[in-house]
Amino acid sequence: MNQQIATVLKTVQKPGRYAGGEYGQIIKDKALVKARFAFCFPDTYEIGMSNLGVRILYSRLNEEKDVWCERSYAPWVDMQEQMHKYDIPLWAHESGDALTEFDFVGFTLQYEMCYPTVLNMLGLAHIPLYAKDRGEEFPIIIGGGPCTYNPEPMADFFDLFNIGEGEEMLPQIVRLYVTMKEEGSYTKAAFLRRAAATIQGVYVPSLYDVQYNEDGTVKSYTPLYEDVPAKVKKQICEDMDKAYFPAKLVMPYTETVHDRIMLEVARGCIRGCRFCQAGMVYRPVREKTPGTLDCQAKSLFEATGYEEISLSSLSISDYTCIEELTDKLLGWTDENMINLSLPSLRVDSFTKELMDKIASVRSGSLTFAPEAGTQRLRDVINKNVEEADLMRAVNVAFAAGKSSVKLYFMQGLPTETNEDLEGITSLAHRVCVAYYQNPERNKSRGVQVTISVSPFIPKPFTPFQWEAQDSLETMLEKQAYVGECNRDKRVRYTHHNAQVCRVEAVLARGDRKLCRAMALAHQKGFVFDAWTEFFDYDKWIEVFTEAGIDPSFYANRAYGLDEVLPWDIIDCGVSKAFLLRERARAYEEKTTPSCREQCSGCGANCMGGERTPCPKGGK
Amino acid sequence: MLTCYTKHQLPMLEQPKTVRIRFVKKGNLQYVSHLDLQRTIHRVLIRAGIPMWYTKGFNPHPKISFGYPLSIGTESECEFLDIRLEREISMENLIKQLNCELTDEMYVYDAYDAVTDANDVAFADYTVKICTEGGSPALAGKIAAVLARDELLMTKKSKSGEKEINLIPLIDQSKIGWCDECKSVVINLRLATGSKQNLNPELLISALKRELSILSGNPTKEHYTIMRKRFLTADYQEFR
Repeated sequence: MNQQIATVLKTVQKPGRYAGGEYGQIIKDKALVKARFAFCFPDTYEIGMSNLGVRILYSRLNEEKDVWCERSYAPWVDMQEQMHKYDIPLWAHESGDALTEFDFVGFTLQYEMCYPTVLNMLGLAHIPLYAKDRGEEFPIIIGGGPCTYNPEPMADFFDLFNIGEGEEMLPQIVRLYVTMKEEGSYTKAAFLRRAAATIQGVYVPSLYDVQYNEDGTVKSYTPLYEDVPAKVKKQICEDMDKAYFPAKLVMPYTETVHDRIMLEVARGCIRGCRFCQAGMVYRPVREKTPGTLDCQAKSLFEATGYEEISLSSLSISDYTCIEELTDKLLGWTDENMINLSLPSLRVDSFTKELMDKIASVRSGSLTFAPEAGTQRLRDVINKNVEEADLMRAVNVAFAAGKSSVKLYFMQGLPTETNEDLEGITSLAHRVCVAYYQNPERNKSRGVQVTISVSPFIPKPFTPFQWEAQDSLETMLEKQAYVGECNRDKRVRYTHHNAQVCRVEAVLARGDRKLCRAMALAHQKGFVFDAWTEFFDYDKWIEVFTEAGIDPSFYANRAYGLDEVLPWDIIDCGVSKAFLLRERARAYEEKTTPSCREQCSGCGANCMGGERTPCPKGGK
Repeated sequence: MLTCYTKHQLPMLEQPKTVRIRFVKKGNLQYVSHLDLQRTIHRVLIRAGIPMWYTKGFNPHPKISFGYPLSIGTESECEFLDIRLEREISMENLIKQLNCELTDEMYVYDAYDAVTDANDVAFADYTVKICTEGGSPALAGKIAAVLARDELLMTKKSKSGEKEINLIPLIDQSKIGWCDECKSVVINLRLATGSKQNLNPELLISALKRELSILSGNPTKEHYTIMRKRFLTADYQEFR
């Protein structure tokens, strides 16, 4: 490690997160490496090290012999203070070298509120924020991750975005760079253009001219050159069994948020909830086989020594081979003292059999997400869950001795009325009643039901992408109203910060004009806005005002159905026609069956995919 | 090489036995806290396929007991931890397997059947190096003078509250010199260590900082290192 960094470590909190030197980190000989990649996570080490995608891509890039990928995280504010004081630029963990020494600096954009931290990290690395201000001497700045389905609020700062799954795209990009360097044909501009023209999923914002209408909406995106795609189609791994999977992981010494084996059983979700971005952009659904998963779990256990395996997917109980997989895993996990856990469960598939197998379900409280308080509104959002399903699920839990249940809801969904909000509390009340009617309940304990209500945020590439978010006043009134409706003392009510949700809505549906606001936010020292102690709504409003941005234009306006959307430049596989159909069905209160029951023609089958319910031939 | 799975094929011991593992923890690893070390070691033992004995209760867990915690920022050449084994494994294999799962900043250098009690430890030797701006052999003299006093009071924070203690009786031996090569004052200390009496070298450094106004400037120019060298019993024998 860099000696300068080492000497300030004794002056900061939790120095272990900056020290590096983890078991499993990859060290290469700089002299033999042709491209260096710094993979940055715009949040703390503890959060970044928990991210499965980062772990996969780190290992994948390092599979390339002449490429060295390292990691970098946002230093906590006390460390940042020391870095400013002693002029220490942001470094990468493995080599301790400053980020300016790298060929690529990549950021994963996991949630909108981390945008200020991205710019903060560029600043700490002494890298100019704007792509246009960076000459050949600076690294190429790459962005990827879920937020890049609308990267426009960050478009001016990035040279290139990865749209879709990076396992193969990222190595393709780096290989092209190495090839062009070897050919002697490399300039940054030539590289970016060739990447955009030849690699599926590469979006280079500077290669498009964006025009706006007088009312501030987008008029057009025009590629500057003929070989630059007019629409950037995402890249996916068609066969998840063949998708790259790391055999070794970097093992953090300090405790991270998800300190366990995460076993990704499938990508995508068959359900099609109309508010859910992940349910749309990760289509088509692709599963891994139980045999592959069992092998991967075993090799990860040997490589990590973790005692918990979390089966991960958007809706784990929809995995077609869940029985076979859990049986296979239980064949060796028990004798090795390993627990299985599930991150999310749908009420309609929560069974006693599943509960008996899963340790995390056996201990601790259970969480379900009915999302809306009435059947009418659940039909509007296409949750496809009925009250009877929820009651059956909680009764299974109560009969097994559970006494506390957590329920997630949303407020501000399209067509919502006061009746729907009341429905949240009355549903929670009926869950309490069900507890006392259950003869098998734990009679020594009282029931506790927690309801957590978050404001609706319209997200790109969902049937609700055009909807307006409630104004801040309305959000707050509704939060208070739910509180008033809750007259059952056994029901504990919590809600999300409405101010954060409003800013998130602005960034989620923003266009390139927001880049100005982001740069201004950076100047004012914004960082860690995903942390409540750092989020300051008044300062955000100040930034928007100074940048000439009206936040309600993005958050509270119903976008026109024929309007050019800032994210129309991206093709995530799901067609706009499908999203419009789904929106219309929402207003008709009609549900749409899951992909497995019936194909609703979303268009994602054009991406291909193995072990998918999608009809073939769309490609 | 044994793996997590093949460990189940080793012959069972008649009775579980306790093995003492001695390891080095230095470099970047000095910043790993005691709590984080416990979690890390637990996983290392699992990865290495060490046939540990598990408690038989509702929530089975291996028995691992750690020696004397190191403060964050203190390195060591002599750490120990005790584990209970359920199956036969040679000490040579145990060391080899563990070191496959460790790095050059933390590795096992010895392992043996534990016959003594961790409570037999009475002292630990440390080497402290202090590098200050304009540091000189004269600083060594000043430090020696402070350590030659009868009394050096410091407030010690513990769970039960704050307590004023005199550090001098807890310093069994000290030898102070100047290293021209590393431009540092080098202090070899033998400090009371154990459950009855204990002195953390960090506390002693805090006292020196206060008494001599050193090490309060730019940490990139003024810094110190602490290395724990060995554990000793009450009669100054090497602890094993």
